[in-house]
Amino acid sequence: MSVTTPRRNKIYVWLDERAGIGRLIGGALDEPIRGGARWAYVFGSALVFLFSLQVVTGIFLAMYYVPSSDHAHASVAYIQKAVSGGALLRGLHYYGASAMIMIIVAHISQTFLYGAYKGKRELVWIVGGALLLIVLGFAFTGYLLPWDQDAYFGTKVGTSIAGEIPLVGPLQQRIMLGGSEITSLTLSRFFMVHVFLLPLSLAILVVVHIYLFRKAGPAGPFHSKADHRVERFYPRQLLKDFVFVLVVFIVLIALAHFIPARLGPQADPTSDFLARPAWYFLPLFELLKYFPGKLSLIPTVVLPAVLFGVIFLLPFFDRRGERHPLRRPVASAALVFTLTGAIGLIVLSKYQDRANPEYSAKLKQQDEEAIAFMKSPFQPQEIGRSIPTAPPTVVSNPLEAGSTPQKIFFANCANCHGTSAEGGTLGPSLVNLERRRKLTADFLANWIAGHGREPSADSMPRFRQLTEGEREELAEWLLKVDKPLAQPETNPQPGRDGEAPAAFVASCAFCHGDRGEGNIGPSLAGITSKPNRGPEELLRMLSNSRAFGLKDPMPESFPDLSDKDKQAIVEWLSRLKSQ
Amino acid sequence: MTTEMTDEELSPDRRRFLGALIGLISSGITTVLGVTIGRYTIAPALSNTNVGEWTDVGLLEEIPEGKPVKRNVVVSQDSGWGRFNSQRLVWVIRKGEQVTVFSAACPHLGCTINETSNGFICPCHGSAWSADGERLGGPTPRGMDMLDHRVEGDLLKVKYQYFKQGVAEKEEAG
Ligand code: FES
Repeated sequence: MSVTTPRRNKIYVWLDERAGIGRLIGGALDEPIRGGARWAYVFGSALVFLFSLQVVTGIFLAMYYVPSSDHAHASVAYIQKAVSGGALLRGLHYYGASAMIMIIVAHISQTFLYGAYKGKRELVWIVGGALLLIVLGFAFTGYLLPWDQDAYFGTKVGTSIAGEIPLVGPLQQRIMLGGSEITSLTLSRFFMVHVFLLPLSLAILVVVHIYLFRKAGPAGPFHSKADHRVERFYPRQLLKDFVFVLVVFIVLIALAHFIPARLGPQADPTSDFLARPAWYFLPLFELLKYFPGKLSLIPTVVLPAVLFGVIFLLPFFDRRGERHPLRRPVASAALVFTLTGAIGLIVLSKYQDRANPEYSAKLKQQDEEAIAFMKSPFQPQEIGRSIPTAPPTVVSNPLEAGSTPQKIFFANCANCHGTSAEGGTLGPSLVNLERRRKLTADFLANWIAGHGREPSADSMPRFRQLTEGEREELAEWLLKVDKPLAQPETNPQPGRDGEAPAAFVASCAFCHGDRGEGNIGPSLAGITSKPNRGPEELLRMLSNSRAFGLKDPMPESFPDLSDKDKQAIVEWLSRLKSQ
Repeated sequence: MTTEMTDEELSPDRRRFLGALIGLISSGITTVLGVTIGRYTIAPALSNTNVGEWTDVGLLEEIPEGKPVKRNVVVSQDSGWGRFNSQRLVWVIRKGEQVTVFSAACPHLGCTINETSNGFICPCHGSAWSADGERLGGPTPRGMDMLDHRVEGDLLKVKYQYFKQGVAEKEEAG
C-alpha cells in the first residue's frame, strides 16, 4: 500500500474505482528520488508553476487585449491603468516571463553541472533544449504585443538581427513580419504565435519532458559514492518545490506592485527612438557591435548554432559515466564561461549606454516619457466621431488677420474648426466653449498640447509645435470667443512655377503648408528620400492614412482624391527634395 | 541495490504536517490569483459606462420657431479601452419659450421617424404621429418618445435615452 494514499473516504473510493486516481496520485507523488530531496531540484517544478501562471494571467489579459495596431496600446493602457487588478495581472505576466528565462537557465545549468543528462536521458535533455527555444519564442513574440515604443523598436532590432542571416535571412524576416515592415499584420502574427501556437507546443513538450524524465528516473546526486538512500517525491521534495514557488510568487507580486510593468507611449514608427532589446537578448545585441559587416554571421548564426548544437548533441558525444562537475573540467568551465559571458555582455551593454553621453541622455529622456505616460490617467480612445466630408476652406493668407491668438487660430485650428470657429470640415464649433462646456483655460491648453490623451485618426492632433505660452494664450482667447469670428480675406496667389498642384493646395496645404514646408503636419521637403516614404509608399498613405500606423495620424477620410490627383501630389513631392 | 525509502522514517504526523504546509502554500497562491482575477473580470462590468448624461443639442437661437428640426446628438459610452461615440437623431420643436425634444427612434421597431408637412411618419411600417407627437395610427404602440431636456444659458441640452420597443407604456430600456 502506498503511504501517500489519502484517508479512504467514500468519494475517494468511488472515484478511485472508476477513474483510478489512486494510481495516478501515487504515480505522481511516490516517485523515488535517489539521494533524497534537495533544493537543487526545485527548478523544474518552478517552471511548471511559472508556465501555469503565464497561462492563467495570459488568458485573462486576453479578455481586454486587442491585437491590432489601432487598439493594442490603448487596450494595454486600459488593463494597466484602469482595471482593478489589471496592473497586478499584467505585472505577474511581465515579470513572470523574465523569471521563466532565468529559471530555465538555472534548470539547464543544474542539469548540466550535475551531469544529469547522462545515462539514457538523451531525450529528456533534447526535449528540454526545445523547451528553451519555445520559451525564448514566447519572450520574443510577447514583447511586441503592448505596441509601445519599447515594443516596436525592440522588435525591430530583434527582427533585423534575424534578417542578417545570409541567404534565408531576408525571406525569413519577411515571413516573420508579414511584409517588409512591422505593421498590424506583424502584430496579428506575433499574437497568434504567442497565444495559440507556442502554448500548445510548450504544453505538449512539457508533458513529454516530464514523462521521459519519470521514465528515466531522476539522476540523483553526482558523487560516485553509492548512495542508497532513496526518498519519495512526496512530501519533502514537493514541499521544497512549493517553498521555492512561493518565494518566486512573492517576488513577482512585489515587483508587479512596487515597480509596475512598464508601458511607454504608443509606438511611433516615425520617431527616432533609441531601440534596446529586452535584457535576455542583450548578449546577442552587444556581440553584434564587435562583429561588423560579414562577421555578424558569428553572433547571429554561428554562436546560436554552436550553443543549440551542443545542447542537442551533447548526450551523444559525452558518453562517459562521470558526473562530478570537478572531474569534468572542460564541461564545467564551458558552462561557467557561457554564463559569465552572457551576464558580462549584459553589464557591458548597460555600461556602454551609460558611458555614452548622447545615448544616456536619450535613454533617460525615453525613460522619463515612459514614466510620464505611466503616471498620466487613463484616457479612453475615441471611437467613431463622425467626420463630415465637405472640402476644407483654404485661406491663403491667414497670418495677416487680427490679434496674435487669432493668428495662431487661423494658422492651426481653422482648417478643422472653420475660419469662423463655428465648426468646419473635421472639428466641432468652438464658439461659446466656456458657456457650453465649462472648460478652463488650463484644461484647454493641455488638450491642445495633447497631454494625457492619445490621438487616433478620428481625434484632434497634438499641437506640440506651439509653445506653452502660445497654447495658453490661445486657450484663454478661445474661451472668450462668443460669436463667430469675422472671416479673414481670402487672398490666393496662383500660378507660380513649381507651385503645388491644386489637389495639394486643397487637401494637404493646410496642415503641411502651402509649399509643403510644414505647419501642423510635418514638413514634406525631401520626404521621398526618407526610409519607407518612397513614391509608392506615399501613394499608399494617401489611399489609407492608417497604412503606416502613425502616432498622430492624418485625418482618416480625405475628400476622396482621384488617382490622377494622388499621382500629381506624389510627383510634386518627389521634386520637392531637389529644390 | 537496496531501496530503502528513508521517508518511511517520517512519522505519520510529520507527513500530515508537511502535506498541510503544501496545501497551505497552494491555496494561498490560488486565493491571491483568484481574488485578483475576480476583481479584474467583474469590476469593469459593474462600472458606470455612460459619459455624462446630458449632451449638447445646440444654441437655442439656432432652433427655428414652430417648425420641427432634426438634430444629431452624440452619445458616448465608455467601454473598456474605448470611448464609443455614436450619433443619435432627435426632433426638436420650439414654440416661443416652450421646447420639446423627441427621440427620432420609432417606438414600434426603431426606424428613424421622418417629418411631414403636418406631423411625423415612420417610413418602415407607416406609423403616423401628429405635430405634437400624439399617436395617429399604424403599428406604433404609443406616441413619440419625449426626451428630458434642459436649457443652460442659451444652450439646449438633452438626456438621450433608449426606450422599450413595442409596448404601450414608455419605459426606459435597460
Ligand atoms: S419601425 Fe416604425 S413603424 Fe415599424
